[in-house]
Amino acid sequence: MLSIRELQYAWPGASGPCLEIERLDIAAGRTVFLHGPSGCGKSTLLGLMAGVLVARKGRVDLLGQDWAALRGGARDARRAEHVGVIFQQFNLLPYVSVLDNVLLPCRFSAARSRRCADGPVAAAHALLQRVALPPSLWPRRADALSVGQQQRVAAARALIGRPELVIADEPTSALDAGLRDDFMRLLLDECRAGGSTLVFVSHDDRLALHFDERLSLPALNRAPS
Amino acid sequence: MTALLQIAARSAWNRRGTLALVMLSIALATALLLGLDRLRSDIRSSFTQSVSGTDLIVGARTGPVQLMLYAVFRIGSATNNITMDSVRAVAAHRAVAWTVPIALGDSHRGHPVLGTTAEYFTHFAYGDRQPLELVQGRAFAGTLDGLYEAVLGAEVADKLGYRLGQHIALSHGMVAGAGEHADHADHADKPFTVVGVLARTGTPVDRTVHVSLQAIEAIHLDWAGGAPLPGLTIAPEHARKFDLEPSHVTAVLVGLKNRVAVFNVQRFVADHEAEPLLAVLPGVALDELWAVVGLGERALLAMSGLVALVSLASLVAVVLAGLNERRRELAVLRAVGAGPRHLLALLAAEGAMVTLAGALLGAAAAAGVVLAAGPWVQQRFGITLQAAAPTTGQWALFGAVLLAGMLASLVPGWRAYRLSLADGLSPRT
Repeated sequence: MLSIRELQYAWPGASGPCLEIERLDIAAGRTVFLHGPSGCGKSTLLGLMAGVLVARKGRVDLLGQDWAALRGGARDARRAEHVGVIFQQFNLLPYVSVLDNVLLPCRFSAARSRRCADGPVAAAHALLQRVALPPSLWPRRADALSVGQQQRVAAARALIGRPELVIADEPTSALDAGLRDDFMRLLLDECRAGGSTLVFVSHDDRLALHFDERLSLPALNRAPS
Repeated sequence: MTALLQIAARSAWNRRGTLALVMLSIALATALLLGLDRLRSDIRSSFTQSVSGTDLIVGARTGPVQLMLYAVFRIGSATNNITMDSVRAVAAHRAVAWTVPIALGDSHRGHPVLGTTAEYFTHFAYGDRQPLELVQGRAFAGTLDGLYEAVLGAEVADKLGYRLGQHIALSHGMVAGAGEHADHADHADKPFTVVGVLARTGTPVDRTVHVSLQAIEAIHLDWAGGAPLPGLTIAPEHARKFDLEPSHVTAVLVGLKNRVAVFNVQRFVADHEAEPLLAVLPGVALDELWAVVGLGERALLAMSGLVALVSLASLVAVVLAGLNERRRELAVLRAVGAGPRHLLALLAAEGAMVTLAGALLGAAAAAGVVLAAGPWVQQRFGITLQAAAPTTGQWALFGAVLLAGMLASLVPGWRAYRLSLADGLSPRT
């Protein structure tokens, strides 16, 4: 599903690489917990996996396609089709309704639209219901929701149209303990139900036991820090 | 792309307060630019059409612009007068259809007094060969009975509140800075009666008091060398008994039977041996004069260009300032499949829409002001503002504002492009 070979990545202007990974393979449908202290390059690795950042050296293949081999526009289209992303916070366009936020990926990718069996709107309704957001909130502006509700909308957006890869960058760090556990359960259940591979980044090791695989980035990364 | 445009519209609507202000400032700049250009072109056409239908203006030899300045605009004074013999010599040329001599030098409360013949009212024209029209009364008779009759320009009548039948007194010379409050009237012994008021023309005619050449002679009978003769007073009725045919006038307006002969007649005047004369083509001299007085108007246009520049700079500043707050929004769009090019397009589209809306609003405002204020400006200043389709120059100005706005919007767009490349998935704010 996802394979990394001989990867070296340096931020523009940096003297040396911040990421150097010899080999990493993630099988389809797995849930992976990627942990490490702040600043160890977790977000950078996610950017490389999603094709937002491109490595000069080595390969990052998603579904057998090297991101670096694609031109900019094709990379963006491929990301829209195959990847769902959840950030730490501020996941939503504040001036758009909850429902329209969930539908965003379908606007950028026809493939994601097609994969919604009864159409994108029905799929969005179903997802919003599964993440326990009452229909009265759907037409509201996204910034009218609480942080916990916003994260659930973000999960629904990442999952719509069943992307092969879901990337979550510390999505629970703004949530308190109760909300965090609910959110974790929901996200894992939905990924398993949709057959999506989940790469979940956190520095909170207590979450690790929910996942199929646990990876430590400092152990993987051979770049001198 | 339609998805992106919808998002751009929603995003802009979300920041409508700020963007409306920017749009308003662009609208004001556009209105200023277009309005000033309209005013400029219309003033220019009023100016260069101060005289029409007159083929040549003949006066004592001086500069062409100088001759126009005093003969048409009543500014400054003649270096010398010309004799009536010369006028008759010009009138006798076979290509000449009519001649109207004019005599300047007196004033009424700061308004120039023009001595001329009754033919002035039939031959003098302005604009697109529009003749002078009387809104009240009639032209002066030009006979001995109607010796002390005056016809007022529209502005003189309006400003001083004169009506038909009113008596007015003339002053000798143009009293500099005297204005309408100068009551010093050294020709008060021979008062004039207002017999007619002319329609507004937007030309110096509006500021002029018209009397007959004979009347000018009559009020100067007891004068010599620019001062009253001591101990000599000639009563108004008594003056009629003198020979009032003038021996000198300031200049003469000449109409030709056929314009083709204009350079022939001009050379004929220049070669006149009895005294040195100059003949100018009014259109040519007016264009020369405009080149001098038009400088200020170009500076005005440059100023409004600067205003436009400032409001476009404020567009760039506002969008750039908001960009940092929008980095997360841009990251979300990146995550769902928007490319850096899309973000550039998003911001450029926003700037372009704001500029377009502002420019259209400004053009509409300029047209509205021309329509609404047109009659008032015509009434007050005699400038006909044309509520016509925009000129090529105005289209060019409008296009320049749009183009500059779109180019300016590329600046924040380019910044967003760079930021989204550098940020990756998580904006480092």
